[in-house]
This record gives sequence, structure tokens and C-alpha cells, in this order.
Amino acid sequence: MSVRSVISDLQDFYDISLRGLLGMGSKPFYFKDAIMQMDYAGSGSLMIVFIVDLFVGMALSLQLSAELSRLGLKMYIGMIVGISVVRELGPVVTALVFTGRVGAGMASELGSMVLGRQVDTIRVFGFDPVKKLVTPRIVSSLIMLPALTVIGVAVSLFGGYYIAVFVSHQSGTFYWSSIRNILTLENVLAGAIKPFIFGYIIACICCYSGLSTKGGAVGLRQSTTRAVVLSIVMIIVSDFLLTRILLYVLGFSV
Amino acid sequence: MIIFDEVHFSYGDRKILSGVSFSAGFHERVVILGGSGEGKTTILRLILGLIRPDRGKILVDGDDITGKTEGEFRDVRMKFSIVFQEGALFDSLNVKENVAYCLREYTKMSEEQIDAKVRRILSTVGVEHALELMPEELSGGMHRRVSLARSLALSTPRMFLYDEPTTGLDPVNADNICRLISDLSKGGKGFIMVTHKVSDAMKVADRFMFLKDGVLLFDGNGKELLHTAIPAIRAFVSEVRGDDVSGSE
Repeated sequence: MSVRSVISDLQDFYDISLRGLLGMGSKPFYFKDAIMQMDYAGSGSLMIVFIVDLFVGMALSLQLSAELSRLGLKMYIGMIVGISVVRELGPVVTALVFTGRVGAGMASELGSMVLGRQVDTIRVFGFDPVKKLVTPRIVSSLIMLPALTVIGVAVSLFGGYYIAVFVSHQSGTFYWSSIRNILTLENVLAGAIKPFIFGYIIACICCYSGLSTKGGAVGLRQSTTRAVVLSIVMIIVSDFLLTRILLYVLGFSV
Repeated sequence: MIIFDEVHFSYGDRKILSGVSFSAGFHERVVILGGSGEGKTTILRLILGLIRPDRGKILVDGDDITGKTEGEFRDVRMKFSIVFQEGALFDSLNVKENVAYCLREYTKMSEEQIDAKVRRILSTVGVEHALELMPEELSGGMHRRVSLARSLALSTPRMFLYDEPTTGLDPVNADNICRLISDLSKGGKGFIMVTHKVSDAMKVADRFMFLKDGVLLFDGNGKELLHTAIPAIRAFVSEVRGDDVSGSE
């Protein structure tokens, strides 16, 4: 891969990402397309987010319970589970699940539209493919990933509660009061901003990857794989950067 | 009129067109012949501005389209109606919605008006019974017909562009598509069809071009094509050589 092609790819990626975002503010609005994407991304992902986040919360609570009981600090399970899930695990795990299900779907759908000349057809009919195909997917990700994250966080906390109360025999009331104590504006903001950024990153990478598909079934496989791998890497990297920035901005001392 | 003036095009390092020049009136019935990967479809994509030439000029109605932006291309594209190879129907929409696609986006027609217009266009191409079917339920021939119907829905184009319209079809279906192409061209609307099926080309066109290694080797009528001395073309047209071509002139 030459430097020139990398620069050209990056230019195309930024162009699609920016135009896709700006498309939300100008006519025509493709509401129906956005709602269809939201249905696919949101209600379609609900069950898998529920299962994954539930078990993440339970596993975390179990691990903490094992360690904290040795130190006689089992009463802190609620607080640590709460902080970990609200600030970090909830947004990241839900984004990873979203990438695997929705992001891969976006890339493969757009890729097969490119190969089937459907994107060319859209252009021939005078539509802007970025506005018609990318903007609704960005809108859908910006709305549905935060919504799924809220649900995922709640489910994780319930998973943690189940282990804390029924396995570690802690007080349920104390668990929830610990959770309430950590639900400060700073903690909630630290977790609430992430899914919007992750949603935008996933939609842009997966749409770009799909729209740049070349060369038949193998090309489609490569573009879908690239979309998922790049999204996962970018979620993890941007999570670190966001955490660093948010901790600084929200006044946490490190 | 479409004019190609010394047009060059490559995909990366692979040269596809090397100085292709020709002109074609909107009323002409032109077929571009050539083997797979010779750049036939590239010519159609260049006319529609889906790709840009590396060098050379393309003029449509005297207007140089090579420097146009994506937004400026809409008017150029509305002059044409293209049927892509395999149809390129939107696979998430049924036949009715595929044909109604542009009507919904660009017009304020009521649901009844859209329904009536879609039925009328589908009956023109002979697939009115497929209204509620999804693209995956259509045969190859029906796919091309619906694609043609969709391209007719919004505008009355000045020229049709056909990308391998009969490839992959059985002889009966291919024949039906050829008949449809001929019927649509009767009102003085010409077409540029790219194909590697010489027998189908002979049924519909008056003018033939032959593309090999990115170069236009031949431009003439059916008789000249069949009696040319160029070895590459003689090999290509051998399947139909000796047939009566008087009807295609």
C-alpha cells in the first residue's frame, strides 16, 4: 500500500465522515431510512446487549467479591461495580457488541450495494449516496448506541446486584445505596459522553469500509473484517483518550 | 450527441481505455462489443460521470462533462436511462417500491397516482404481475425488465444505456429483452449497449464498435463487422458469420 493511497483513503474517510454528519442539518432528510436503521440497530441489538452486559456485570461482581472478601472489604462491591460499569465497562462493552452486530451489518450491506451497482444507481438517480446511506446510519448510531448503553449499564448493575446479594450475601439495600452514591454528575457524564463518540466512530468506519468495497465476495469479506477490526481498535484507543480527557475536564485527580 | 475525444482511463496501474474516440447521436442504436474486462462498461460509467477519465474529453450535447461536480451531473444523468448488468435493483424493496423509488423522492404524487404509474410502466415491460415480488424472487429476465421500468419511471430519457442486458439469460429471455430494447428505441430514442453476445447485438443495433485492449478497433455497420479482416474481430464474430444481417442495417 503506497503512501499516496493511504492519504487518499484517509481523505475519503474524513470526507464521508464529515459530510455524513453535516447531512443531518440540511435537506433532504431521509427520516424513513433513519428509522429503519434505528430499528435494525436498536431493537435488533437489545437481546444481545442484555445478555452480554448482564454477564459482564455478574463476572465483575464475582471477581471483586473474591478479592474484596480476602481483604474484608466486600461492602465496597456496589461502589466498585458501579464506577466500573457506569464510567467504563458499560459504554465500551455495549460499543463492542454494537460493532459486531450493527457495524458489521452496515459494512456488508453497503459493500454488497456497491458490488451490486445499487450505489451507482443511487448516484444515477441524482441522490447523494453519503446523505442517503451514511447520514441515516450515523443518526441511528448516535441515538441507538447511547440508548443501548443506558440499558446495558442498568442490566450490568442488576447482574452485579444478583451476585453481591445471592452469592456474596451482601445487603441489597447497601448495594443500591452505594450505586446511588456513585451516580454523581461527574461519573454519569464520564460514561454518558462516550457512547455518542463511539457511535459516530463505528458508523463512519463501517460506512466508509462498506462504500470502499472492491472485488467481489473476497473484497466484501475484507471490507467487513476491516470495518469490525478498525472499529474495535478505535473504540479501545478512543476510550483511553476520552477517559484521560474527561478525568481532567471533570476534575478527577489521578 | 455524445463525443469521446481521446479518452484514457486506468484502474490503478491497469490501463482500461487508451485514447478512445467516437461520437454517437442520441437517436443511434449502437453496440459496443468486446471481451470481458475490455472496458465496455467503463465507457457507460464515464458517460454518466460515475468515474472520471484520466485524460481526454467527454462531451454530452456539446457540454464538456469531464470537469463537472457530482451535483452538476444530475442534469446530464437525467438525459440517460441505464440498465446495469444484473439489474441493480434495491434488494430491500419489492418491485413496486423499486419502480416507485424516484417518484416518491422527487414528486408529490399521491399513493394512488404512484400505484397507477408503476402499474402502467410495469405493463410496458411486461412484468405487471410481479408488483409485490422481492428482487430475489425474480428471474434474470424479469430483473432486467424491472430495472428498465425503474429507469423509465421518473423521466423520459433521450438515450438508453444497457450494460450486458442479455448476459446470463436463456435464449428465450434474451430474445424478449432484445425485442423490448428494439421497441423502446422505435420513438427515435437510441441506445448504447455493451455486450459480448454478437448474436443479440445483431438483433438490435445499426452501428457496431469493437473494443480490444482499451482501443477501439472497429466502428461500422453489421455487414462490415461480419466481413472485417481484423483477426480479433473475426474470431469474436465467428458464431454468427454467414447469418443474414440485412435486417440489422
